Amino acid sequence: MRPRTAVLVLLGAFCVLLAAAGPAAAITFTIPTGKSDRCLACHSKPDLGTVNVNGVEKSLTISEDTWHSSMHSRLDCTACHAGFEAREHTATETQGWYRQAKLTACSDCHSSEFKMYDQSFHGNLVMNEGSTKAPACGDCHGSHGIIDPASQEFRATIPDVCGRCHGEKSATYLDTYHGKSVALGDMSRAVCTDCHGYHKILPKSDPNSSVNARNIVATCGKCHDNANTNFSSFMVHVDRSTPHSSLWVWLMEMNHAILIAVLFTLGGLHCFLYFYRGLKEGLYRRG
Amino acid sequence: MASIDTDVRDEGIALEPAPRAAHAAVGARTHFRRFTAFQRWVHFFIMISFSILVLTGMPLKYSDKAWAQTWMGFIGGVENAGMIHRFAAMIMVTCVICMLGFFLTVLIRTRGHFWGPGTMVPTRQDYRDLRAMVGWFIGRTPKPNLQLDRYAYYEKGEFWAASAGVSIMCITGAILWYPEVAAQYLPGIVINFALVNHSGGALLAMGFVVVFWHFFHAHLRPETFPMDKAMYAGGLPLEEYVHERPVEYERLVREGKLDDVLVAPVSDRRMKIQNIVWWVITGAALFLWAVFCIFVIWVTYNWLISF
Repeated sequence: MRPRTAVLVLLGAFCVLLAAAGPAAAITFTIPTGKSDRCLACHSKPDLGTVNVNGVEKSLTISEDTWHSSMHSRLDCTACHAGFEAREHTATETQGWYRQAKLTACSDCHSSEFKMYDQSFHGNLVMNEGSTKAPACGDCHGSHGIIDPASQEFRATIPDVCGRCHGEKSATYLDTYHGKSVALGDMSRAVCTDCHGYHKILPKSDPNSSVNARNIVATCGKCHDNANTNFSSFMVHVDRSTPHSSLWVWLMEMNHAILIAVLFTLGGLHCFLYFYRGLKEGLYRRG
Repeated sequence: MASIDTDVRDEGIALEPAPRAAHAAVGARTHFRRFTAFQRWVHFFIMISFSILVLTGMPLKYSDKAWAQTWMGFIGGVENAGMIHRFAAMIMVTCVICMLGFFLTVLIRTRGHFWGPGTMVPTRQDYRDLRAMVGWFIGRTPKPNLQLDRYAYYEKGEFWAASAGVSIMCITGAILWYPEVAAQYLPGIVINFALVNHSGGALLAMGFVVVFWHFFHAHLRPETFPMDKAMYAGGLPLEEYVHERPVEYERLVREGKLDDVLVAPVSDRRMKIQNIVWWVITGAALFLWAVFCIFVIWVTYNWLISF
């Protein structure tokens, strides 16, 4: 076979493959698209609202811009809001969906992530202990304005997202070099999830946790070559303003506060009085 | 320790006749060499590197403030600022090593220099000088005519404060630069200590040593305003020097060493160039001082209202 013929044969085979793969892809990709406009006809109105079963007023408005900028904007609303019809929804419809939605709406497509979440500390609280405070998918990822979790924008929100519940942890994190760099816009430094994991977050006491004493050296070692036990015993979440967090760190902080207060006062007085007397006695006037 | 100094002060030796005679004896060399070229270059590099260290380090300390984020963006982000910071730190460490070498040479060559007359070590006379000044500050006594040797009490204080500061900043800075290496030998809490001390030491160095102490005494004192030229020109006219440091002058005359430290003033043309450089540096220094001053007042204010 001459080389040119061989190329032609290969090209032909490639075209046949493409022709076969096209319909196959169309068949497996069955998520309906383009129907969300029907819902937005009502739900983009700014004053659309309702009072839920607990008597709390709730807005039902979806900002069109938010929705169209979301990762899911190609999906139909009913992909998540399963069973809803394009009319005014009944109470049974909405309440029945809401109870289940937190748990199952995402798992249809994101089953592997959901499985990890299910085994996590947060997942256990929500799924098994019926906690209403612990976060489900949407509490971290958002709902209608969902963005790519691998994006820099999402990464930038992580300390705030975790901080909504773990306020003092995110405050102490922002007091470290990692947190300071992130606050100043350098997203390459570690954020909460880089050490604690994300879907499968476990408490420090769990031997499978990424921050458990068994695994912490490896977790630090993801970025820090030569990390050892000493290195990993660095206290990330230490609150400098209280002796309860770390007595020694607090004492050093207080030492500086006292030094600064005393020396600034004495130094400031020495300068100011020198200046004031000099001015008053005309020492700055020179012929 | 400083018995000679005390004698001079107690007897109140008149300082008038000496200068002219000395002038005549040494011809054109009418200036007193206050600092050698080596000392002036070290000072220049410390000044530059200190400013860079503050400008690249402070935004990290105050990373939650909007101005820090704007400024950090302007200097090219944390990674860049860190590189500049470490480069400036290397310049400063080099200066420190040079100075230590200088001190060692002096210590070996002139035994007793550190403790004798003209010492940098605080003496009883420094305490008396400070008390006399405080008396003037609070309006109880007229302005004292300090009989100073080579270094005044406020210069000694600054030297030791800066020495302590630079030691802490070098050690903690090295730990923060290579935390993994430090952790090979030290427990992890040392990195926590290094963070606290590097951050607190930076504010102390900037606020106390530079804003309140150095800038005031080298620039804004009535005697030196707007700047002590000795640090860039090296020499100052003998007449001025006799009034500023009478004890050192007397001592040098008595020991017959005055001739060694007299230099000819720089030529008019060089003086012109030096004056331009001088005004540029002074302008920049005063501007930076104003910025630092506002900053320190802001920090103090925030600290006070946090109670």
